[in-house]
Amino acid sequence: MKADVTVIGGGPGGLVSALFAKRNGAKKVLILEREDELGGILKQCIHNGFGLELFKKDLTGPEYAERLIDDINKEGVDYMLDTMAIHLSNDRTITAVNSKYGVFNIESKSIVLAMGCRERARGNIVIPGTRPAGIYTAGVAQRFINIDGYLPGKEVVILGSGDIGLIMARRLTLEGAKVKGVYEIMNHPGGLKRNIVQCLNDFDIPLYLSHTVIEIEGKDRVTGVVVAKVDGKMQPIEGTEEFIKCDTLLLSVGLIPENELSKEASIKISSNTKGPVTTEIMETSVPGIFSSGNVSVVFDLVDYVAETGVIAGKNAAEFAKENKENKKFINIFPGKNVGILFPQRYSYRDDLIIFLRAGKWVEKPVNIEVKPLNIRMKRLYARPNEMIRIKVLKDKLLSVKGDITVSIKEVEE
Amino acid sequence: MIKHFTCVICPLGCEIDVEEENGGIIALDGSRCARGKEFVIQELKEPLRVLTTTVRIKGAEFNMLPVRTDKPIPKRLIPKIMEDIAKIEVNAPVKMYDTIIENIVGTGINLIATRSM
Repeated sequence: MKADVTVIGGGPGGLVSALFAKRNGAKKVLILEREDELGGILKQCIHNGFGLELFKKDLTGPEYAERLIDDINKEGVDYMLDTMAIHLSNDRTITAVNSKYGVFNIESKSIVLAMGCRERARGNIVIPGTRPAGIYTAGVAQRFINIDGYLPGKEVVILGSGDIGLIMARRLTLEGAKVKGVYEIMNHPGGLKRNIVQCLNDFDIPLYLSHTVIEIEGKDRVTGVVVAKVDGKMQPIEGTEEFIKCDTLLLSVGLIPENELSKEASIKISSNTKGPVTTEIMETSVPGIFSSGNVSVVFDLVDYVAETGVIAGKNAAEFAKENKENKKFINIFPGKNVGILFPQRYSYRDDLIIFLRAGKWVEKPVNIEVKPLNIRMKRLYARPNEMIRIKVLKDKLLSVKGDITVSIKEVEE
Repeated sequence: MIKHFTCVICPLGCEIDVEEENGGIIALDGSRCARGKEFVIQELKEPLRVLTTTVRIKGAEFNMLPVRTDKPIPKRLIPKIMEDIAKIEVNAPVKMYDTIIENIVGTGINLIATRSM
Protein backbone atom coordinates (compact mmCIF):
# COMPACT_ATOMS: atom_id res chain seq x y z
CA MET A 1 0.00 0.00 0.00
CA LYS A 2 1.26 3.50 -0.79
CA ALA A 3 0.30 6.97 0.49
CA ASP A 4 1.57 10.53 0.23
CA VAL A 5 0.98 11.35 3.89
CA THR A 6 0.12 8.74 6.52
CA VAL A 7 -1.06 9.93 9.92
CA ILE A 8 -0.74 7.52 12.84
CA GLY A 9 -3.64 8.24 15.21
CA GLY A 10 -7.10 9.73 14.65
CA GLY A 11 -7.43 12.02 17.67
CA PRO A 12 -7.43 15.83 17.37
CA GLY A 13 -3.70 16.02 16.51
CA GLY A 14 -4.07 13.43 13.76
CA LEU A 15 -7.35 14.75 12.33
CA VAL A 16 -6.04 18.30 12.00
CA SER A 17 -2.74 17.10 10.49
CA ALA A 18 -4.54 14.97 7.91
CA LEU A 19 -6.89 17.81 7.05
CA PHE A 20 -4.08 20.30 6.53
CA ALA A 21 -1.94 17.79 4.59
CA LYS A 22 -4.89 17.42 2.21
CA ARG A 23 -5.55 21.17 2.05
CA ASN A 24 -1.89 21.72 1.17
CA GLY A 25 -1.97 19.46 -1.85
CA ALA A 26 -1.18 15.93 -0.66
CA LYS A 27 -3.24 13.56 -2.83
CA LYS A 28 -3.54 10.38 -0.79
CA VAL A 29 -3.76 11.13 2.91
CA LEU A 30 -4.42 8.13 5.14
CA ILE A 31 -5.21 8.05 8.87
CA LEU A 32 -4.60 4.85 10.86
CA GLU A 33 -6.83 4.62 13.94
CA ARG A 34 -6.78 1.72 16.40
CA GLU A 35 -10.27 2.39 17.80
CA ASP A 36 -13.56 1.85 15.98
CA GLU A 37 -14.15 5.55 15.33
CA LEU A 38 -12.19 8.75 14.85
CA GLY A 39 -11.97 11.49 17.48
CA GLY A 40 -9.63 10.10 20.13
CA ILE A 41 -10.05 11.30 23.69
CA LEU A 42 -12.41 14.14 22.62
CA LYS A 43 -15.29 11.65 22.41
CA GLN A 44 -15.27 11.08 26.16
CA CYS A 45 -14.49 14.70 27.15
CA ILE A 46 -18.15 15.70 27.18
CA HIS A 47 -17.54 18.93 29.14
CA ASN A 48 -17.30 22.32 27.47
CA GLY A 49 -14.37 24.73 27.26
CA PHE A 50 -12.82 23.45 24.03
CA GLY A 51 -12.29 25.44 20.88
CA LEU A 52 -12.23 28.97 22.29
CA GLU A 53 -9.10 29.76 20.26
CA LEU A 54 -9.54 27.69 17.08
CA PHE A 55 -13.31 27.84 16.50
CA LYS A 56 -13.94 30.97 18.63
CA LYS A 57 -16.71 28.98 20.27
CA ASP A 58 -17.17 27.20 23.58
CA LEU A 59 -17.54 23.59 22.43
CA THR A 60 -17.66 20.21 24.14
CA GLY A 61 -15.16 17.51 23.13
CA PRO A 62 -17.63 15.51 20.99
CA GLU A 63 -18.68 18.66 19.09
CA TYR A 64 -15.03 19.54 18.43
CA ALA A 65 -14.41 16.00 17.14
CA GLU A 66 -17.53 15.90 14.95
CA ARG A 67 -16.62 19.19 13.27
CA LEU A 68 -13.17 17.83 12.40
CA ILE A 69 -14.55 14.45 11.25
CA ASP A 70 -17.11 16.18 9.00
CA ASP A 71 -14.25 18.07 7.33
CA ILE A 72 -12.22 14.85 6.97
CA ASN A 73 -15.13 13.24 5.12
CA LYS A 74 -15.88 16.33 3.02
CA GLU A 75 -12.30 16.72 1.83
CA GLY A 76 -11.69 13.08 0.97
CA VAL A 77 -9.13 12.07 3.57
CA ASP A 78 -8.90 8.25 3.79
CA TYR A 79 -8.91 6.46 7.10
CA MET A 80 -8.71 2.90 8.36
CA LEU A 81 -10.40 2.12 11.69
CA ASP A 82 -9.64 -0.83 13.99
CA THR A 83 -6.16 -0.64 12.56
CA MET A 84 -3.06 -0.71 14.72
CA ALA A 85 0.35 0.51 13.56
CA ILE A 86 2.77 -2.02 15.01
CA HIS A 87 6.09 -0.97 13.47
CA LEU A 88 7.68 2.13 12.02
CA SER A 89 11.00 2.29 10.21
CA ASN A 90 13.05 5.37 9.38
CA ASP A 91 12.59 4.81 5.62
CA ARG A 92 8.94 5.79 6.24
CA THR A 93 7.43 2.33 6.04
CA ILE A 94 4.68 1.52 8.51
CA THR A 95 3.62 -2.01 9.40
CA ALA A 96 -0.01 -2.16 10.50
CA VAL A 97 -2.52 -4.84 11.33
CA ASN A 98 -6.30 -5.12 11.01
CA SER A 99 -8.87 -7.83 10.39
CA LYS A 100 -9.31 -6.99 6.69
CA TYR A 101 -5.72 -7.00 5.41
CA GLY A 102 -3.95 -8.90 8.21
CA VAL A 103 -0.40 -7.60 8.65
CA PHE A 104 0.48 -5.17 5.86
CA ASN A 105 2.97 -2.43 4.96
CA ILE A 106 2.33 1.17 3.99
CA GLU A 107 5.07 3.01 2.13
CA SER A 108 4.49 6.69 2.71
CA LYS A 109 6.26 9.72 1.28
CA SER A 110 5.87 11.42 4.65
CA ILE A 111 4.41 10.50 8.03
CA VAL A 112 2.78 12.38 10.89
CA LEU A 113 3.03 10.82 14.34
CA ALA A 114 -0.16 11.56 16.28
CA MET A 115 -0.31 8.77 18.85
CA GLY A 116 -1.14 11.14 21.69
CA CYS A 117 -0.34 10.37 25.29
CA ARG A 118 -1.24 7.87 27.96
CA GLU A 119 -2.13 8.25 31.63
CA ARG A 120 0.31 7.52 34.39
CA ALA A 121 -1.09 4.72 36.55
CA ARG A 122 -0.54 3.21 39.99
CA GLY A 123 2.63 1.46 38.83
CA ASN A 124 4.21 4.77 37.82
CA ILE A 125 3.77 6.34 41.24
CA VAL A 126 4.19 3.18 43.35
CA ILE A 127 1.45 3.31 46.01
CA PRO A 128 1.90 0.48 48.52
CA GLY A 129 -0.96 -1.73 49.66
CA THR A 130 -3.24 -4.46 48.38
CA ARG A 131 -4.45 -4.86 44.81
CA PRO A 132 -8.24 -4.73 45.02
CA ALA A 133 -10.74 -3.68 42.35
CA GLY A 134 -11.75 -0.02 42.41
CA ILE A 135 -8.51 1.72 41.36
CA TYR A 136 -8.83 3.55 38.07
CA THR A 137 -7.06 6.27 36.16
CA ALA A 138 -9.31 9.32 35.77
CA GLY A 139 -9.53 8.82 32.01
CA VAL A 140 -10.71 5.23 32.33
CA ALA A 141 -13.41 6.30 34.80
CA GLN A 142 -14.38 9.06 32.35
CA ARG A 143 -14.86 6.51 29.58
CA PHE A 144 -16.93 4.22 31.89
CA ILE A 145 -19.29 7.05 32.82
CA ASN A 146 -19.54 9.09 29.63
CA ILE A 147 -19.54 6.39 26.94
CA ASP A 148 -20.37 3.06 28.57
CA GLY A 149 -22.77 4.41 31.23
CA TYR A 150 -21.30 2.73 34.31
CA LEU A 151 -20.55 4.49 37.59
CA PRO A 152 -17.15 3.19 38.78
CA GLY A 153 -17.95 3.63 42.49
CA LYS A 154 -20.00 5.39 45.14
CA GLU A 155 -17.42 6.85 47.54
CA VAL A 156 -14.43 8.20 45.72
CA VAL A 157 -11.02 9.62 46.62
CA ILE A 158 -9.12 11.36 43.83
CA LEU A 159 -5.33 11.51 43.88
CA GLY A 160 -3.88 14.32 41.79
CA SER A 161 -5.46 17.63 40.86
CA GLY A 162 -4.81 17.58 37.12
CA ASP A 163 -7.65 18.82 34.94
CA ILE A 164 -9.04 15.35 34.21
CA GLY A 165 -9.19 14.59 37.94
CA LEU A 166 -11.02 17.84 38.67
CA ILE A 167 -13.48 17.30 35.84
CA MET A 168 -14.14 13.76 37.06
CA ALA A 169 -14.78 15.03 40.59
CA ARG A 170 -17.67 17.09 39.20
CA ARG A 171 -18.86 14.37 36.85
CA LEU A 172 -18.99 11.71 39.60
CA THR A 173 -20.84 14.11 41.90
CA LEU A 174 -23.43 14.91 39.22
CA GLU A 175 -24.00 11.18 38.71
CA GLY A 176 -24.62 10.63 42.42
CA ALA A 177 -21.26 9.46 43.77
CA LYS A 178 -19.72 11.07 46.87
CA VAL A 179 -16.27 12.53 46.17
CA LYS A 180 -14.54 12.70 49.55
CA GLY A 181 -11.67 14.86 48.44
CA VAL A 182 -8.97 15.59 45.90
CA TYR A 183 -5.44 15.07 47.25
CA GLU A 184 -2.49 16.80 45.60
CA ILE A 185 1.13 16.08 46.53
CA MET A 186 2.35 19.50 45.30
CA ASN A 187 1.67 22.67 47.26
CA HIS A 188 -0.35 24.09 44.36
CA PRO A 189 -3.11 22.66 42.16
CA GLY A 190 -2.21 20.81 38.96
CA GLY A 191 -5.24 21.87 36.95
CA LEU A 192 -6.52 25.22 35.73
CA LYS A 193 -7.96 27.63 38.27
CA ARG A 194 -11.34 27.77 36.59
CA ASN A 195 -11.63 24.00 36.98
CA ILE A 196 -10.93 24.29 40.71
CA VAL A 197 -13.81 26.76 40.94
CA GLN A 198 -16.31 25.11 38.59
CA CYS A 199 -15.57 21.48 39.45
CA LEU A 200 -14.65 21.53 43.14
CA ASN A 201 -15.90 24.74 44.79
CA ASP A 202 -19.28 24.57 43.02
CA PHE A 203 -19.90 21.16 44.60
CA ASP A 204 -18.13 21.72 47.95
CA ILE A 205 -15.49 19.09 47.19
CA PRO A 206 -12.41 19.68 49.35
CA LEU A 207 -8.91 20.01 47.83
CA TYR A 208 -6.00 18.99 50.06
CA LEU A 209 -2.66 20.37 48.86
CA SER A 210 0.66 18.84 50.04
CA HIS A 211 -1.12 15.54 50.67
CA THR A 212 -0.80 12.11 49.10
CA VAL A 213 -2.16 8.58 49.34
CA ILE A 214 0.37 6.36 51.12
CA GLU A 215 -1.59 3.12 51.23
CA ILE A 216 -4.53 1.38 49.60
CA GLU A 217 -6.63 -1.00 51.71
CA GLY A 218 -9.16 -3.68 50.76
CA LYS A 219 -9.06 -7.31 49.68
CA ASP A 220 -11.51 -7.74 46.79
CA ARG A 221 -12.67 -4.13 46.56
CA VAL A 222 -11.03 -0.93 47.84
CA THR A 223 -12.27 -0.28 51.40
CA GLY A 224 -10.26 2.86 51.99
CA VAL A 225 -6.98 4.70 51.57
CA VAL A 226 -4.51 6.18 54.00
CA VAL A 227 -3.58 9.77 53.22
CA ALA A 228 -0.82 11.87 54.78
CA LYS A 229 0.61 15.35 54.60
CA VAL A 230 3.95 15.67 52.82
CA ASP A 231 6.96 17.87 53.58
CA GLY A 232 8.86 20.17 51.20
CA LYS A 233 10.60 17.14 49.69
CA MET A 234 7.23 15.46 49.08
CA GLN A 235 7.90 12.85 51.78
CA PRO A 236 4.96 11.80 54.02
CA ILE A 237 5.11 13.38 57.50
CA GLU A 238 4.82 10.84 60.31
CA GLY A 239 1.81 11.33 62.54
CA THR A 240 -0.34 12.99 59.86
CA GLU A 241 -1.75 9.71 58.48
CA GLU A 242 -5.52 9.53 58.18
CA PHE A 243 -7.73 6.66 56.99
CA ILE A 244 -10.39 7.68 54.47
CA LYS A 245 -13.16 5.16 53.85
CA CYS A 246 -13.93 4.80 50.14
CA ASP A 247 -14.66 2.16 47.49
CA THR A 248 -12.84 3.83 44.63
CA LEU A 249 -9.52 5.60 44.08
CA LEU A 250 -9.08 7.67 40.93
CA LEU A 251 -5.59 8.58 39.80
CA SER A 252 -5.03 11.84 37.94
CA VAL A 253 -1.27 11.87 38.16
CA GLY A 254 -0.05 13.03 34.80
CA LEU A 255 0.28 11.99 31.18
CA ILE A 256 3.19 10.60 29.15
CA PRO A 257 3.56 10.94 25.35
CA GLU A 258 3.24 7.54 23.69
CA ASN A 259 6.39 7.01 21.62
CA GLU A 260 7.04 3.28 21.26
CA LEU A 261 6.74 3.57 17.46
CA SER A 262 8.94 6.66 17.34
CA LYS A 263 11.70 4.81 19.17
CA GLU A 264 11.56 1.94 16.66
CA ALA A 265 12.33 4.39 13.88
CA SER A 266 15.32 5.71 15.92
CA ILE A 267 13.64 9.10 16.30
CA LYS A 268 15.42 11.17 18.91
CA ILE A 269 13.29 11.56 22.06
CA SER A 270 13.62 14.57 24.37
CA SER A 271 14.17 13.78 28.05
CA ASN A 272 12.44 17.10 28.81
CA THR A 273 9.13 16.57 26.98
CA LYS A 274 9.30 12.74 26.58
CA GLY A 275 8.31 13.32 22.94
CA PRO A 276 10.30 13.55 19.68
CA VAL A 277 12.87 16.32 19.37
CA THR A 278 11.15 18.56 16.85
CA THR A 279 11.77 21.68 14.77
CA GLU A 280 9.38 24.61 14.36
CA ILE A 281 7.81 22.82 11.36
CA MET A 282 7.17 19.78 13.62
CA GLU A 283 9.75 17.64 11.84
CA THR A 284 11.41 14.99 14.03
CA SER A 285 15.09 13.99 13.82
CA VAL A 286 14.16 11.59 10.96
CA PRO A 287 13.53 13.48 7.69
CA GLY A 288 9.93 13.24 6.48
CA ILE A 289 8.54 12.10 9.83
CA PHE A 290 6.62 14.85 11.61
CA SER A 291 4.79 14.87 14.94
CA SER A 292 1.60 16.52 16.08
CA GLY A 293 -0.17 17.09 19.39
CA ASN A 294 0.37 15.32 22.68
CA VAL A 295 2.78 12.75 21.27
CA SER A 296 5.31 15.64 21.20
CA VAL A 297 4.58 17.27 24.54
CA VAL A 298 1.51 17.20 26.79
CA PHE A 299 -0.46 20.36 25.98
CA ASP A 300 -3.06 22.10 28.19
CA LEU A 301 -5.49 22.90 25.41
CA VAL A 302 -6.76 20.95 22.44
CA ASP A 303 -6.42 24.17 20.45
CA TYR A 304 -2.65 24.00 20.96
CA VAL A 305 -2.75 20.38 19.77
CA ALA A 306 -4.63 21.56 16.68
CA GLU A 307 -2.12 24.35 16.09
CA THR A 308 0.77 21.86 15.94
CA GLY A 309 -1.40 19.66 13.71
CA VAL A 310 -1.85 22.47 11.18
CA ILE A 311 1.92 22.94 10.98
CA ALA A 312 2.73 19.20 10.85
CA GLY A 313 0.10 18.53 8.17
CA LYS A 314 1.20 21.38 5.93
CA ASN A 315 4.87 20.47 6.13
CA ALA A 316 4.22 16.74 5.69
CA ALA A 317 2.39 17.60 2.45
CA GLU A 318 5.32 19.71 1.30
CA PHE A 319 7.81 16.97 2.10
CA ALA A 320 5.69 14.46 0.18
CA LYS A 321 5.94 16.73 -2.87
CA GLU A 322 9.57 17.86 -2.67
CA ASN A 323 11.41 15.45 -0.35
CA LYS A 324 13.52 18.33 0.89
CA GLU A 325 15.68 17.57 3.91
CA ASN A 326 16.33 20.17 6.57
CA LYS A 327 20.01 20.03 7.34
CA LYS A 328 20.54 23.36 9.06
CA PHE A 329 19.15 23.96 12.52
CA ILE A 330 19.96 25.53 15.87
CA ASN A 331 18.92 24.25 19.31
CA ILE A 332 16.44 25.84 21.69
CA PHE A 333 17.26 25.30 25.36
CA PRO A 334 15.25 25.82 28.55
CA GLY A 335 16.90 28.49 30.72
CA LYS A 336 16.09 29.81 34.18
CA ASN A 337 12.79 28.57 35.65
CA VAL A 338 11.66 26.89 32.43
CA GLY A 339 10.42 23.34 33.12
CA ILE A 340 9.03 22.08 29.82
CA LEU A 341 10.06 23.61 26.49
CA PHE A 342 8.86 22.81 22.98
CA PRO A 343 10.07 22.65 20.20
CA GLN A 344 13.75 21.88 20.71
CA ARG A 345 15.12 23.00 17.31
CA TYR A 346 14.75 25.86 14.84
CA SER A 347 15.38 25.18 11.15
CA TYR A 348 14.82 28.63 9.56
CA ARG A 349 11.72 27.51 7.68
CA ASP A 350 8.86 29.28 9.45
CA ASP A 351 7.80 31.41 12.39
CA LEU A 352 8.67 29.83 15.73
CA ILE A 353 5.87 29.07 18.18
CA ILE A 354 7.35 28.22 21.57
CA PHE A 355 5.34 26.40 24.24
CA LEU A 356 6.77 26.40 27.73
CA ARG A 357 5.91 25.67 31.33
CA ALA A 358 7.41 27.38 34.33
CA GLY A 359 9.52 25.12 36.56
CA LYS A 360 8.50 26.87 39.78
CA TRP A 361 5.40 28.80 40.77
CA VAL A 362 5.91 32.61 40.64
CA GLU A 363 2.91 34.65 41.73
CA LYS A 364 4.33 38.03 40.66
CA PRO A 365 5.23 39.70 37.35
CA VAL A 366 7.81 37.89 35.23
CA ASN A 367 9.57 38.46 31.92
CA ILE A 368 9.91 35.68 29.40
CA GLU A 369 13.24 36.23 27.70
CA VAL A 370 14.33 34.72 24.40
CA LYS A 371 18.12 35.02 23.95
CA PRO A 372 20.09 35.99 21.89
CA LEU A 373 17.06 37.83 20.52
CA ASN A 374 16.10 40.93 22.36
CA ILE A 375 12.68 39.55 23.23
CA ARG A 376 11.17 40.18 26.62
CA MET A 377 7.51 39.46 27.26
CA LYS A 378 5.86 40.46 30.49
CA ARG A 379 3.36 38.18 32.25
CA LEU A 380 1.54 38.75 35.52
CA TYR A 381 2.66 35.39 36.91
CA ALA A 382 4.25 32.08 35.94
CA ARG A 383 2.32 28.99 36.97
CA PRO A 384 3.53 25.50 36.01
CA ASN A 385 -0.08 24.36 35.44
CA GLU A 386 -0.64 26.93 32.67
CA MET A 387 1.34 26.51 29.49
CA ILE A 388 2.77 29.70 28.00
CA ARG A 389 2.72 30.20 24.23
CA ILE A 390 4.87 32.76 22.47
CA LYS A 391 5.37 33.35 18.78
CA VAL A 392 8.60 34.68 17.25
CA LEU A 393 8.49 35.76 13.62
CA LYS A 394 10.83 34.17 11.08
CA ASP A 395 12.20 37.60 10.03
CA LYS A 396 13.62 38.10 13.49
CA LEU A 397 15.17 34.64 13.58
CA LEU A 398 16.94 34.51 10.21
CA SER A 399 20.00 36.33 11.51
CA VAL A 400 20.37 34.19 14.65
CA LYS A 401 23.38 31.88 14.45
CA GLY A 402 23.93 30.45 17.92
CA ASP A 403 21.51 28.48 20.05
CA ILE A 404 18.38 30.01 21.57
CA THR A 405 17.65 30.03 25.31
CA VAL A 406 14.26 30.78 26.84
CA SER A 407 14.04 31.85 30.48
CA ILE A 408 11.47 33.13 32.96
CA LYS A 409 12.80 35.89 35.19
CA GLU A 410 11.08 37.82 37.93
CA VAL A 411 10.68 41.51 37.11
CA GLU A 412 13.01 43.52 39.33
CA GLU A 413 11.17 46.26 41.15
CA MET B 1 -20.59 41.48 54.35
CA ILE B 2 -17.52 40.60 52.25
CA LYS B 3 -17.81 37.74 49.78
CA HIS B 4 -14.96 36.14 47.90
CA PHE B 5 -15.00 34.95 44.27
CA THR B 6 -12.54 33.48 41.80
CA CYS B 7 -13.41 34.73 38.34
CA VAL B 8 -13.64 31.92 35.76
CA ILE B 9 -14.09 34.02 32.63
CA CYS B 10 -10.43 33.73 31.57
CA PRO B 11 -7.39 31.74 32.76
CA LEU B 12 -6.07 34.64 34.88
CA GLY B 13 -8.54 33.65 37.63
CA CYS B 14 -8.74 36.99 39.45
CA GLU B 15 -9.48 36.70 43.17
CA ILE B 16 -12.27 39.21 43.70
CA ASP B 17 -13.59 40.50 47.04
CA VAL B 18 -17.01 42.12 47.07
CA GLU B 19 -18.65 44.05 49.86
CA GLU B 20 -22.42 43.92 49.79
CA GLU B 21 -24.98 45.97 51.67
CA ASN B 22 -28.76 45.64 51.32
CA GLY B 23 -28.35 43.65 48.11
CA GLY B 24 -26.17 46.31 46.47
CA ILE B 25 -22.42 46.22 45.84
CA ILE B 26 -20.60 48.93 47.72
CA ALA B 27 -17.00 47.83 47.05
CA LEU B 28 -15.30 45.45 44.62
CA ASP B 29 -11.61 44.67 44.66
CA GLY B 30 -9.23 42.37 42.79
CA SER B 31 -10.78 42.29 39.31
CA ARG B 32 -8.35 43.13 36.52
CA CYS B 33 -11.07 43.84 33.94
CA ALA B 34 -14.73 44.75 33.47
CA ARG B 35 -15.69 41.16 32.69
CA GLY B 36 -14.67 40.17 36.21
CA LYS B 37 -17.09 42.69 37.61
CA GLU B 38 -19.92 41.39 35.41
CA PHE B 39 -19.09 37.84 36.50
CA VAL B 40 -19.33 38.75 40.18
CA ILE B 41 -22.60 40.64 39.71
CA GLN B 42 -24.08 37.58 37.99
CA GLU B 43 -22.66 35.24 40.66
CA LEU B 44 -24.33 37.33 43.38
CA LYS B 45 -27.63 37.44 41.55
CA GLU B 46 -27.83 33.90 40.15
CA PRO B 47 -24.80 31.73 39.33
CA LEU B 48 -25.11 30.32 35.81
CA ARG B 49 -23.38 27.25 34.35
CA VAL B 50 -23.54 25.23 31.14
CA LEU B 51 -24.53 21.70 32.20
CA THR B 52 -22.84 18.87 30.28
CA THR B 53 -23.88 15.29 30.95
CA THR B 54 -25.15 12.14 29.21
CA VAL B 55 -28.49 10.50 28.37
CA ARG B 56 -29.14 6.79 27.82
CA ILE B 57 -29.48 5.92 24.13
CA LYS B 58 -30.90 2.77 22.51
CA GLY B 59 -29.94 1.31 19.15
CA ALA B 60 -26.57 3.10 19.03
CA GLU B 61 -23.09 1.63 19.24
CA PHE B 62 -22.56 3.12 22.71
CA ASN B 63 -24.83 3.29 25.76
CA MET B 64 -24.60 7.02 26.42
CA LEU B 65 -25.30 10.11 24.31
CA PRO B 66 -23.44 13.28 25.37
CA VAL B 67 -25.70 16.34 25.88
CA ARG B 68 -25.51 19.91 27.14
CA THR B 69 -27.80 22.83 27.84
CA ASP B 70 -27.87 25.22 24.87
CA LYS B 71 -27.37 28.18 27.24
CA PRO B 72 -26.04 28.58 30.79
CA ILE B 73 -28.65 27.59 33.37
CA PRO B 74 -29.06 28.54 37.03
CA LYS B 75 -26.66 26.42 39.07
CA ARG B 76 -29.30 25.69 41.73
CA LEU B 77 -31.42 23.81 39.15
CA ILE B 78 -28.67 21.34 38.24
CA PRO B 79 -29.70 18.58 40.74
CA LYS B 80 -33.33 18.75 39.55
CA ILE B 81 -32.29 18.65 35.89
CA MET B 82 -30.01 15.66 36.54
CA GLU B 83 -32.99 13.84 38.08
CA ASP B 84 -35.12 14.49 34.99
CA ILE B 85 -32.33 13.43 32.65
CA ALA B 86 -31.82 10.15 34.55
CA LYS B 87 -35.42 9.16 33.74
CA ILE B 88 -35.24 9.45 29.98
CA GLU B 89 -33.90 7.28 27.21
CA VAL B 90 -33.61 8.30 23.57
CA ASN B 91 -33.52 6.22 20.41
CA ALA B 92 -30.82 6.37 17.75
CA PRO B 93 -30.32 7.94 15.25
CA VAL B 94 -29.66 11.35 16.78
CA LYS B 95 -27.95 14.26 15.02
CA MET B 96 -25.59 16.70 16.72
CA TYR B 97 -27.59 19.67 18.09
CA ASP B 98 -30.93 17.79 18.03
CA THR B 99 -33.10 18.88 20.96
CA ILE B 100 -33.34 16.09 23.54
CA ILE B 101 -35.45 17.88 26.17
CA GLU B 102 -37.26 21.10 25.34
CA ASN B 103 -37.70 23.88 27.91
CA ILE B 104 -35.97 21.94 30.68
CA VAL B 105 -37.64 22.43 34.11
CA GLY B 106 -39.39 25.47 32.69
CA THR B 107 -36.22 27.50 32.10
CA GLY B 108 -36.87 28.07 28.39
CA ILE B 109 -33.51 26.42 27.80
CA ASN B 110 -33.14 23.20 25.80
CA LEU B 111 -31.00 20.14 26.35
CA ILE B 112 -29.23 19.32 23.07
CA ALA B 113 -27.13 16.41 21.77
CA THR B 114 -23.43 17.16 21.34
CA ARG B 115 -22.74 14.39 18.83
CA SER B 116 -24.47 12.35 16.16
CA MET B 117 -25.02 8.71 17.02
